[in-house]
Amino acid sequence: MNSRAVTTDILLGIVPIALMIALWQALVSFGYAPPALLPPPGLVFTRLAQQLFTTTYQQEIAATLFRLFAGFSIAVLLGVSIGLAAAASPAINAVVRPIVRVLAPLPKVALYPALLLLLGFNHQSKIMLVAADALFPILLSTYYGASMVEQKLIWSAMAAGTPRRQILFKVVLPAAVPSILTGCRIGLVISCIVVFLAEMITSTDGLGHVLVTAARTFQAVDMFVPLITISLLGLILNGLLEGLRNYLLRGFPEV
Amino acid sequence: MKLMPSRPNVEAKAAPARQTGAAMITIDRVSQVFRTSGRREHLAISDISLTIEDGAFVSILGPSGCGKSTLLYIVGGFVSPTEGVARVKGKAIRGPGPDRGPVFQEFALFPWKSVLGNVMYGPRQQGVKSGEAEAQSRALIEKVGLKGFEHFYPKELSGGMKQRVALARTLAYHPAVLLMDEPFGALDAHTRTRLQNDLLKIWERDRKTVLFVTHSVEEAVFLSDRVVVMTRAPGRIKQIVEIDLPRPRRRSELLLDPRYQKYVVDIEGMIDDTSEDELRP
Amino acid sequence: MTVIRAFVSRSAPLMACLGLLAIWQVAALMLKTDSFPGAWEAIKAIPSILGDQESLINILASIRRMAIGFSVAVLVSIPLGLMMGRSRAVASFFNPLLMITYPVPKAALMPIILLWLGVGDIAKMLVIFLGVSLPVIYHSFQGAKAIEEKMLWSGAAMGLSAAQRMIRIVLPAALPEILTGCRTGLVLALITMVTSEMIARQSGAGNILFNALDMGQYDTVYAMIIIIGAMGIGLDAAFERLRARLVRWSEPGFEIPLSFA
Repeated sequence: MNSRAVTTDILLGIVPIALMIALWQALVSFGYAPPALLPPPGLVFTRLAQQLFTTTYQQEIAATLFRLFAGFSIAVLLGVSIGLAAAASPAINAVVRPIVRVLAPLPKVALYPALLLLLGFNHQSKIMLVAADALFPILLSTYYGASMVEQKLIWSAMAAGTPRRQILFKVVLPAAVPSILTGCRIGLVISCIVVFLAEMITSTDGLGHVLVTAARTFQAVDMFVPLITISLLGLILNGLLEGLRNYLLRGFPEV
Repeated sequence: MKLMPSRPNVEAKAAPARQTGAAMITIDRVSQVFRTSGRREHLAISDISLTIEDGAFVSILGPSGCGKSTLLYIVGGFVSPTEGVARVKGKAIRGPGPDRGPVFQEFALFPWKSVLGNVMYGPRQQGVKSGEAEAQSRALIEKVGLKGFEHFYPKELSGGMKQRVALARTLAYHPAVLLMDEPFGALDAHTRTRLQNDLLKIWERDRKTVLFVTHSVEEAVFLSDRVVVMTRAPGRIKQIVEIDLPRPRRRSELLLDPRYQKYVVDIEGMIDDTSEDELRP
Repeated sequence: MTVIRAFVSRSAPLMACLGLLAIWQVAALMLKTDSFPGAWEAIKAIPSILGDQESLINILASIRRMAIGFSVAVLVSIPLGLMMGRSRAVASFFNPLLMITYPVPKAALMPIILLWLGVGDIAKMLVIFLGVSLPVIYHSFQGAKAIEEKMLWSGAAMGLSAAQRMIRIVLPAALPEILTGCRTGLVLALITMVTSEMIARQSGAGNILFNALDMGQYDTVYAMIIIIGAMGIGLDAAFERLRARLVRWSEPGFEIPLSFA
């Protein structure tokens, strides 16, 4: 891939986004959409820029990020350890497999009322919902990656004198890292989505709550701002994870 | 047809005293049955007995699917035989161990470790101090001709270089036996020749016991003291051929040597016989 | 022996369901609070919900919207994803747009869409459509990208036009991956449906759930959770069956035991 091709790619990618904003502006300018329903893009982005520098809005972002990270971390911790254990032990596998088959397709958001009743309307219920939603992609891809580790890699390590109980951490875990990171990426996006939704359903702070408040008072501009913020947060977090991935996978062939 | 050591060794002086006598590996009536997914049983190898002396270079040759790799996996301790027993230095094999180092066709390098990291893995696992392990590993990397590539990752190397790293990684923990599973099978002809020459040079220097699985007759004759020819599945030993060619061997001389040529032609004949079986339903 | 094993492996998910319900029951008995009834009480409340005509109609209407939203999304997303997979220009055209919309919760668009389109089926179906599209596009894209180039060359050599290659080679070759995307999409359709109903609070399963929560009818809350959960599990299992049938030729790269433990 040469740099000219990359430049073309970037230019091509900007086109639809630019078109969308242009269409958006046109709809407002030519009077097809009343500004009360669809505020002009300039107004939305100025408002976003203003908001980003106010402490109240920053606090909302902080509340969202805290829940997101707490839930995501729990999901990573549980997902990787259960996934590895299921790949390593047939007995654990026999138990985990059917439970995962049942719980993975279950719409976790339906559990939210139960979490609210059990854990209260505070942070905990939202964090648990995020964790429950992000858990399965991470667990499944860890399991998948760990069970796909090339047998001869394991044999090579065993022949070099690695005891059986160390194989899991010295060979299987590092070899499964590409797959685990793919799962984490999906889990991270899901975390972004779920934390926002949970805040929309019941909350007193956070970006989701900002949207709901704006919707109640029909402030169209303020409805767009948190949506764009969560999209930006998702992009930034994704970029950070990508950087981590490039660092951790520097030895692995491109996938 | 017998190619047993009745032939007089004209250049006896060229071969330094081989540590013959002591059996390094004994394979005693080993059979291996694999259960395939459809509940069918597949007899991979059947009733194989073989003794490999300390310091011998023995090749196992046979058509694909004859179970020659399975035999190597059994000696490696990666697979336990359905029947019979394999021993190393008289002790029954119960699992992999650093006395038997594998080199696989697929290289099986750790992609998350650099060349140096891969080679150092074994010594570190044996408890060698990191500084010492690094010094040893660097020397080995130089020995296999990869000086300057210590900090490269496997993905940045060509197939031939990867296999050199894999060889160095195994040599690094000083196994008494090298188990080579079609190590040059994935390489192009030119690289293959160079690696055969280099392997021979390294081997002739420290004379480890080598069990070498291949499907190339030329490779087997060129490298080995003895070639074990196997039949098509279920793999049995069809014939054992002692390769009585002087060492150190040089490709340029050997290829012109009529004895080498006769070995190749004779063994190819045996393989041809076995592949006739293939056509039977 | 094998019969028993087959029976055990087939009934394992069912056993898992029963096990989870049992754990729930035990936990409820231990906690003894009003807000956490046992599994049995929740199950007992199911018939009264499904027997109530209004809620049944509501739930069925939800399912209808979900089915339409899902189908339209699949019909649009598969061709788009496949074209992205085969053409670099198409891929770089759409990728950034998809990337910025990826972390946006689709159900969160509900208030805005309601503002534009009013309270109606179209708004709800649009949200489901948006929720389903991304995974289906993504997986179709990956599936089409991973196709062995030489397979297409062989097709071209046999005289297939570009469009024919797309339908007769790319589509079937990418099918396993496409169906994986559809499976994710199906569960997402249900999730988006429930969530948007929770947010809009107009009608449907999600609304029943939260109304019951507000009114403190805890049995109904948990019964609805079971109903929605069962819908998710049932839909997924049914789709998995269909998928396994459609891609029987593809290798099952999963059940490989590792021999180090």
